[in-house]
Amino acid sequence: MAVEALKIIREGEEDGRKLLEEAKASVANILNEAEQEVKRLKESAREDEKSIASEISAKYIQEGKKEEVAIMETADTEVEKLKADAEANLESAVNVSLELILGVR
Amino acid sequence: MGAKEMVEKIKSEANEASEKIKSEARENAKQELGRSIKELEEEKKRFVEAEERKGVEEKERIVRAARQKARKLRWTVEEEMIEKTLDATLKRITSVKSEGFKGNSYPNILGGLIKDSTISIAAGSSADVEVEVILSEEDAAASYIDKAMLKNLTDEISNDSGVNVRLSLSDERMKSAGGVIVRRKDGEIEVNNTLEQRMARLSTSLREEIMKTLFTGT
Repeated sequence: MAVEALKIIREGEEDGRKLLEEAKASVANILNEAEQEVKRLKESAREDEKSIASEISAKYIQEGKKEEVAIMETADTEVEKLKADAEANLESAVNVSLELILGVR
Repeated sequence: MGAKEMVEKIKSEANEASEKIKSEARENAKQELGRSIKELEEEKKRFVEAEERKGVEEKERIVRAARQKARKLRWTVEEEMIEKTLDATLKRITSVKSEGFKGNSYPNILGGLIKDSTISIAAGSSADVEVEVILSEEDAAASYIDKAMLKNLTDEISNDSGVNVRLSLSDERMKSAGGVIVRRKDGEIEVNNTLEQRMARLSTSLREEIMKTLFTGT
């Protein structure tokens, strides 16, 4: 009877030990899963960074190009006015130039 | 306590310990994950800020390049028009020789250039100064400067400078569209007042004046 009781207790102790072993294994598993999740999040973040970088770059390049077009449009208009003014004043400029070169100022 | 109760107690304690270990592990994992997520968010924030700065710099670079291109465009037009003016000026010299300019005949213009040149030669002299005037083949052939004119100029310059000046026309000819070279007889001092030389010498002020006149109202 006592032997039987001891056997039962020993089995109980063995079950308890197994439970603890399983728990330790679970801990390793939980930590491993957490590590994998962190790794996955980091990889995902790296991937996100690529698209974020290209989106931001594209946004500012577009803004820059838009301003470039406006600047060049203004420049073209100004240049046309410059040409028109210069053509209209060409004769006067030739006279000013002659005054200086001929020394008749 | 019987054996069965003891076993139940052992199992219950083991279960409790097992759950506690797992629960702690889960909590640690949760906290670790939370920290990692927070770090990644911070990292992302810094990354976005850095990319924004790079983007702004790129935009500014594009705008700067555009402004420079616009300035170059404007400068090119200005240069073209200045060159056009200078070309037209040189072409007008021919008509100046036949028609004069602003009430001044070409011989009078040459006279003025001779006077200026001679006065600057005489400026450093205390004694008599003998100078010769060199003309282009074309101007000499047209006899724009004659002896009477040289005589008048001689008197005028001598009076103005206080130095006794003697002017003569050289047989030497120069290659030029017009103007004069005036040289002291001993060859020590020479004033080059050919139109090309004046154009080069006055280049800076000439371009400024042309710019001012061409682009008035712009």
